[in-house]
Amino acid sequence: MTAAQLDKMRLELRRGVLVLAVLASLKQPHYGYSLRQQLQQDGIDIDEGTLYPLVRRLAEQELLTSEWRQGEGRERRYYQLSELGAQLLGQLTDEWQQLNSALGNLLGTASQEKQ
Amino acid sequence: MELVQRYIAAVQRELPENKRDEIGRELNANIMDQLDALAEQPGGLTDADIAALLKQMGHPRTVAQQFVPPQPLISPGYMPLYKNTLFMVLGILFLLQVADSTSAWLSSDMSFLLYIKHLLNGYSQDVLLAFTGITLGFWLMSRNKPAANSQCEQHWQPEQLPAVGPHWQHISLQDIFTDLATYLFLLIVIWYPLWFSAEQLANSRFLFTDNAYQLLQWASPLVLLGIANSLWQLRQRFWSRHMLLSNVVLNAAFVVAILLLAATQPLLKLEPEAWRGVLDLHQLQRAATISLVIIAMFPLWEVLRDLWRLKKLH
Repeated sequence: MTAAQLDKMRLELRRGVLVLAVLASLKQPHYGYSLRQQLQQDGIDIDEGTLYPLVRRLAEQELLTSEWRQGEGRERRYYQLSELGAQLLGQLTDEWQQLNSALGNLLGTASQEKQ
Repeated sequence: MELVQRYIAAVQRELPENKRDEIGRELNANIMDQLDALAEQPGGLTDADIAALLKQMGHPRTVAQQFVPPQPLISPGYMPLYKNTLFMVLGILFLLQVADSTSAWLSSDMSFLLYIKHLLNGYSQDVLLAFTGITLGFWLMSRNKPAANSQCEQHWQPEQLPAVGPHWQHISLQDIFTDLATYLFLLIVIWYPLWFSAEQLANSRFLFTDNAYQLLQWASPLVLLGIANSLWQLRQRFWSRHMLLSNVVLNAAFVVAILLLAATQPLLKLEPEAWRGVLDLHQLQRAATISLVIIAMFPLWEVLRDLWRLKKLH
């Protein structure tokens, strides 16, 4: 497999998971840059070109609420999980745990066969 | 900071008008936060750092497209219907243009090359108009109702799917419309006196002799059967045994009719004075006969092909 193919597959694999990570991180309010820092601290590296439009899309779907606040001499837009977003996060978390458990079994079996 | 403002303005120019202010404001806040982080590093913030950060963010158009992804002109849900409509309408326009150009050709002293030019010119104008109209129609439909499954797609039943067969069993629209255009052309050539005025008839020229012309008239029911056969194909779009059988019979009849026409002597009505010193009349008659024999090879090939297909289906 070439590096380009691996990158493409990795991108596809991460795409859905990023939504979950962003929703989970926005249980507390964050502005764009602080959200990115938070995700990086938690081990999820995401470039701004993906993160900021994703956050806007989630807000347009009413999964996030947002407000402009003044701080440190300038304005920032803060995002936080809405009620609808919290419901969806709960459902997605269950889904993720089921998927993770199933995949864990599959990948465990695969690695045992490899050994 | 002027560079940042120029960058944001460039991104805003690529955005829809109703989103420019809001996205520009947010982008500005995000860039300022990143610049603050850079300024805290040893060495402070330089213009080169700002330029490098903006370069890393991407071309303004790319950034704008990340915020507002470009929408396809026609929604993917409508694409199969769009392609089918386009093909059907362009096919029908081709038939109408063949009819129009052939009538014009027969009622004037237009050469064959001019006839082809007239046909291509007329058809390209029709195509341009139809393509634009259909695309605009589907664009409007996509804007108002982005995705739609047709009634057919909603109420399908697996039991109604055709049996598994070889790939050739699916009849392409291109084949059907080519056949229809050929039949229409033949019908107009054979029966042109019916819709011409006396004046147009006086100006018209017809190359075949009376005997050959009479044979062509006798063959016209075959052409009508050919049109009916093509319409049947258009409705079914799938070769069945009955359809193959009717195609074999029809094409075999065409082979016989064309060979009978080729055997008719003299075949062409030629004025010796007009051709004196240009070509030998005997050679011209011979060339016309050979051309007809070659033309007969096409339906003959279809007869053999369909017999082979019948055998395969059996």
